[in-house]
Amino acid sequence: MKSVNKDLDDDILLQLLVDVKADDTKAIGKLCDHFLPKVYRFIYYRVKKIEDAEDLTSEVCLRVLQSIQEQKGSFHAWIYRIASNMITDHYRRRAVRSTVKSIGDSIEEIDDHSNTAIELLEQQELRQNLSQLTEEQQQVIVLKFIEGYKTDEIADVIGKSTVAVRAIQFRALTTMRTMFNEEGQRRNEGKN
Amino acid sequence: MEQDIELLLDICIEEMHKGKSIEECLAEYSQYASQLKPLLQLVEHIEALPQPAPSTEAISSTLINIGKEIAQLTITSETPVVRGKKRKTISFFNIFQKPKLMWAFSAALLFLVVLFSAATISANSVPGDILYPLKLATEKVKFLLTFDSEKKAELRLTFSDKRLQEMIAVFRQSGKLDTTLLKEMLDEAKLALEGNEIPTDKASIFAAKLSHVNAYQKDVLEKIRPQVNPSSRQIVDEAINMCDMRSRWMRRMMNEENEISPEGLDSTGSPQIMPRSKQKSNRRQWGPGCDWMR
Repeated sequence: MKSVNKDLDDDILLQLLVDVKADDTKAIGKLCDHFLPKVYRFIYYRVKKIEDAEDLTSEVCLRVLQSIQEQKGSFHAWIYRIASNMITDHYRRRAVRSTVKSIGDSIEEIDDHSNTAIELLEQQELRQNLSQLTEEQQQVIVLKFIEGYKTDEIADVIGKSTVAVRAIQFRALTTMRTMFNEEGQRRNEGKN
Repeated sequence: MEQDIELLLDICIEEMHKGKSIEECLAEYSQYASQLKPLLQLVEHIEALPQPAPSTEAISSTLINIGKEIAQLTITSETPVVRGKKRKTISFFNIFQKPKLMWAFSAALLFLVVLFSAATISANSVPGDILYPLKLATEKVKFLLTFDSEKKAELRLTFSDKRLQEMIAVFRQSGKLDTTLLKEMLDEAKLALEGNEIPTDKASIFAAKLSHVNAYQKDVLEKIRPQVNPSSRQIVDEAINMCDMRSRWMRRMMNEENEISPEGLDSTGSPQIMPRSKQKSNRRQWGPGCDWMR
């Protein structure tokens, strides 16, 4: 199993935040360096277009910088909450929030030179399946299996109990398993 | 019952994150194995997927936006406000009476602040960091905007030092020697000498700097050599020899500045001495003719 994304030590993160709040641009750079890819991955699996993922990531970084002085409590929870709100606003702006299900039918081809075609297909398949889950289920799956957070940390981010997170995780995986099975069946029928 | 399986699934996932295989996890909860197995396999599949990364353009664009934001915050915080109104100040900006000129000046100033912010943000990045391409781009811009050949040479030395620092940082992080950075470090030091004309009156000072840089690089390489993988030691040894040779030659050049031939080393590896009468006056070309690099 691939190791999940490692996080900064709490002490290092705390010091970094103190430096960022004191307008230390190098610290801002370090913070961006660490969180920008995480935020991007979090958004990537939950929006329709890759350009939207990049734009929203940029917006989240700006929002973080603008309101860093007001940040309290868990930084991870705070930054992912900002990202979640941005995604919600994004769908609200485009008036497609009520038809999130249809996103799966029109996931765009991703023009990313860094990945091979097979990798892209797998990423797309996951995006497509994820887009058919509820918002909470998507958050839990991405935070747990893409970002490697623990259940209690995810509970902190989405503001639910650990029992609730486990239930969401179980339902999400069961739904995805069904979807993967159905896709497998369709592929087999296509071959035959 | 449902809560049990949700909890067990979570426990198994945590165990897998710690390195256990699916079979090992299932062995402990055999009565739930049929339900847990497909879900754990799905988890394994999701976690094995390649991770998407933002494009370089997107990162640059984000950093520029951040730079603008920092610039905006800096400008806002430095604008004095008295009772809710901006204080009328007599400043350099009042020179511009025409709005167009003022706008042009402001845009140029903003651009510079953004560039500076982007450069500072990426200053500590190393290869593999998402900000590293920005750091290299900033260096290129800086080099292109430098017209004085002596300053260009100084910049090359700075870049050489940066590559060394990055190589050390990467070595500390991964325990592996990044030979590309090592080569770039040597190349930059070479270009500092080869690609630029140094005025004769500054030549000995510059030779002293180069000698110092090469000696320092040699010391650092000697220190990390024992920790380097044996397969890479030969490369380190070659680099140490090269730095040593350069440093010695520069020291000699410094001492005998007016007598050393820019043709480089003789067949024994010692610097050639050229009669004063044959030397060019005014500015010396320390360029391609200088064959001190192997």
